[in-house]
Amino acid sequence: MVSISARNIGLNYRIPRKLTLAPRDRRMAAGGRIESSGSGRIVKALEGVTFSLRSGDRLGLVGPNGAGKTTLLKVLYGIFEPSAGELHIDGRVDALFNITLGFRTEATGRRNIELRGLINGWTKQQIAARMDEIIEFSELGEFIDMPFKAYSQGMAARLAFSVATTLQPEILLMDEWIGAGDAGFQDKATARMDEIAQKAGIIVLASHNQSLIEQTCNKVLRLEKGRAGEVLPIGEYARD
Amino acid sequence: MGKLIAAALADIREALRLRAVWIALASEDIGDQHKRTTLGPFWLLLNYLIFIGTFIVVFGGPAGEGLFAAYAATGLFVWFYIMDILGQSAALFVREESFIKGTILPLTTYVLRLTMQSVIRSGYALIGCAAILLLMQVPITATWSWSIVALGIIILATPPTILILALIGAFFPDMQFIMQNAVRVGMFLTPTFWGFDEVVGWRGVLYHWNPFTYFLEIFRQPIVFDTVPVFALGFCLVVVLVLWAIAIPLLGLFRKQIAFMI
Repeated sequence: MVSISARNIGLNYRIPRKLTLAPRDRRMAAGGRIESSGSGRIVKALEGVTFSLRSGDRLGLVGPNGAGKTTLLKVLYGIFEPSAGELHIDGRVDALFNITLGFRTEATGRRNIELRGLINGWTKQQIAARMDEIIEFSELGEFIDMPFKAYSQGMAARLAFSVATTLQPEILLMDEWIGAGDAGFQDKATARMDEIAQKAGIIVLASHNQSLIEQTCNKVLRLEKGRAGEVLPIGEYARD
Repeated sequence: MGKLIAAALADIREALRLRAVWIALASEDIGDQHKRTTLGPFWLLLNYLIFIGTFIVVFGGPAGEGLFAAYAATGLFVWFYIMDILGQSAALFVREESFIKGTILPLTTYVLRLTMQSVIRSGYALIGCAAILLLMQVPITATWSWSIVALGIIILATPPTILILALIGAFFPDMQFIMQNAVRVGMFLTPTFWGFDEVVGWRGVLYHWNPFTYFLEIFRQPIVFDTVPVFALGFCLVVVLVLWAIAIPLLGLFRKQIAFMI
């Protein structure tokens, strides 16, 4: 059964002082709170985050910039290892963080589907089997054999969304999904997200767009400076 | 320590399982670098031929001319590969930042991607090297098979070298510029085109104490002098083992921390 269980998840990391002759260290923490220590700075990116999700749940992560939404998504995906707490995830996870990540500007859309599929851990057979479906869903038509650099931002987003959702991930993590393409495609995309959630899946979506959260999610978790509140049903969140 | 090593080995195993990813990305990288050019990746071959042609014309003498050309061609072939690795490794994780912070690909994937890129680039130089050996009518003997073994040893030394330099580069960004300068100077301090005759004095010291000498010689000696460089082979194998012994714990220690360091 697809599920996510997070119990007191914390993420602290140290930003060591860089050995450099440059005037200052320009690396900034992505979010959370910063504490100084002798040999550098410690970022408390997440603290005491607790929630559990079951099949069919669509969780919206909300909060101001630097609240820890993206960091939490990256912990759920496995990019960051939590430094405290327990995290149990059952289900195949896919993520849509950066829509152009892994896309080659000189390669065609078709070749980019192959590359993105490989990066997602698909086999060549899985990619070949889903190629036509991805192209059809992305509505790119003959553009699929054009170089990616010829695509508009909307076309790129449609292709990325199509690749990320075609393999029917059991758990889909999305960051600042701004809506791929025109209104027609957004309807299709929303329908597909519903389909994923209905097929015993979980969606976690981080966004500043309140209407998107209300339209897509059934639960909301508010983050503030790396600390999480309680998970609220969407109705209760919308009333607030 | 056991946990770190187990984590590092798991990372390497997963990257090897995902070989289709780094092979595809490396091939795309080479293609993209020469996309709009007429010669495409054959610029890599031309680049090698221009260098070796210059060395042969400037430093080659009438005595043993053919053998010197073979000596310089094989030496430069290996040095080009070493130069590529050393020059690009320190900035590797910074270049791969978006992948490291956006995917769950094992860290070794990026190391093997760069290894693959350098192997592909060297493939073009190898065509030039083989052409010069043919042109100079260097006799092909069974001893040449040791040069194939040498290529295997050099490739085995590559991933740990990249990993160590990339980690140093993540902590110490100046490293990439230090390495770029070091490889430029290193070409003259390493017997790529000198050392054909007897080496004495400072040249002798440089020849014997420069570890890169032995990586050149394990490939060069079987082809040019029809001899098996036993000591050099043993030395390089020890270096490979030491590099892996350093790289594996470092990988275990930093593979999940690197996302915060870049």
